[in-house]
Amino acid sequence: MHEVLLFASVPAHQHYELLQQLAGLTAMQPRHCLERRLIFKAYRKPGLMAGRTGASQDIQSGDLQRLNKMLNGSMYYTQVVGPVTEKDFGAAIDSDMHMDGTDEKPEAYRYDYEHQPWRLEFRDIPEAGTRSAVTSRQMSSSSLPSGDVMPVMSAWGYNFVNEHVVEGDLFVHNEIVIFLQRVLQYPTDQEPSQPRQQMPPLKDMMPLEKSGSYVLQASITVQDGSNQETMKLASQHLFGLREQLKSVIRLEQADRLSLDTRAK
Amino acid sequence: MSKPTQEQIKILEQSRQRLVQLTRSLGSLISSLHSSDPLPPWSSLQSQASIISNNLLSVSEQLSEQRDLFTSLVAYPSPEYPGRTQAPTLEQLLRTKLDPRVEDWVARGRAAGSDNGPSQSTIPSPSRLVEAESADHKLSEAELAQLWEWAPLEANQEARRRNWGGNYTLEEREMGIENVVTGLKRQLEDDLGSDEESEEEDEDDGKEEMDIVGVHRKSVGGGLEFDIAVRHPHPVKPFVPLDDILKYMTTGRLQ
Repeated sequence: MHEVLLFASVPAHQHYELLQQLAGLTAMQPRHCLERRLIFKAYRKPGLMAGRTGASQDIQSGDLQRLNKMLNGSMYYTQVVGPVTEKDFGAAIDSDMHMDGTDEKPEAYRYDYEHQPWRLEFRDIPEAGTRSAVTSRQMSSSSLPSGDVMPVMSAWGYNFVNEHVVEGDLFVHNEIVIFLQRVLQYPTDQEPSQPRQQMPPLKDMMPLEKSGSYVLQASITVQDGSNQETMKLASQHLFGLREQLKSVIRLEQADRLSLDTRAK
Repeated sequence: MSKPTQEQIKILEQSRQRLVQLTRSLGSLISSLHSSDPLPPWSSLQSQASIISNNLLSVSEQLSEQRDLFTSLVAYPSPEYPGRTQAPTLEQLLRTKLDPRVEDWVARGRAAGSDNGPSQSTIPSPSRLVEAESADHKLSEAELAQLWEWAPLEANQEARRRNWGGNYTLEEREMGIENVVTGLKRQLEDDLGSDEESEEEDEDDGKEEMDIVGVHRKSVGGGLEFDIAVRHPHPVKPFVPLDDILKYMTTGRLQ
């Protein structure tokens, strides 16, 4: 699948107005979203793909090189995304309560990391050299088993890098998904080695952008990215939205390298 | 009846040129009034009006200079005239009375002219007053009394259009005085200061109003952005560029 995208930076003072304007444009109320996003980075499994040295024959080396290049060249950052609710923030962990063995507050809401649903979201680096003024990239999503994703991910050769929370409002305008979002960081400084089992209260989360600005992302997902016609049509629809929002916000193509998911 | 001489034809041709110019400038004024929305700025209307009045002046000069010729000229069709195909033009040329519509216009113009005459002479306008003084001619007792009767009413009417005193104009107050960019370091109070000060500030305010009007005119094209800028007196620009945010969302690091 492909997606075509446009982005805009929304200053904090404009956020509320833009919400209203988008609600008017799309004729729907915003759907509030909170997502945990875990960033994983592929790593080279040591020694796994090392070519045989010494007695290797010349005929094989060409194939081997190609194979090496293919396996080692395609290493990417990838995201594991889990939807959460506001109640999940600052809630007690389920397992803790079990260990205490005390059930004094059975009605208290608990964040259940063991049953947290996840989905793997792969995004390729945006296509280079397209003449069109939209960002287009290959993408795919698939759901993962609920609960702890670490074993699964490390088995696939991925290291946990970092995690953040994305908070935002979602609109759907025809086939355009408009997501007005901002990144929240966890209050601690040191980087964890694995996803958090428990989440701090939402008010302790710090926006990455201190002034409180938001990012507007307008995207269209195209099933068949190789079909030039549909890709062109999707870009045109995005341009239409850009025209409609022209007086409010400037939607533009993102810098390709800022969306570079290749792991170096 | 003799044929018109070369000289006379030239004069006719000149009058025709001037009339063509007059109709053209009238036409352009009408079309600009009809087609442009909003109305064209007053400066362009005024320049068009002055062009028209110049044209009128030159036409009337021509008519009065060549009055003898024009009154003596008689139009008649020569045998070569294509009477069948150009009958309306022929009728137009041969008619001795004015078109009823034109007759109306002329009558209205005459009436306006004769109305204006006496009324101008009864009310002494300031310009006439100046003229009279420069001509060293004393106004009569009655004229002076009339002037005194007229002046206070007129001045009062003019004054009523403005809100006197205070640091802000009505317009600015309606917009909210906190939005007014005074360009002054000190804070202006929204009440009456001492006479001298308020006078000074009235001038200032005048300038400010001009500024704001200017911005409004410019913003006709740019619209909403300007409105936002007004509603948020202290907009905060994002510190982190969009690219860095996207980078963080992609790789988990701000590099």
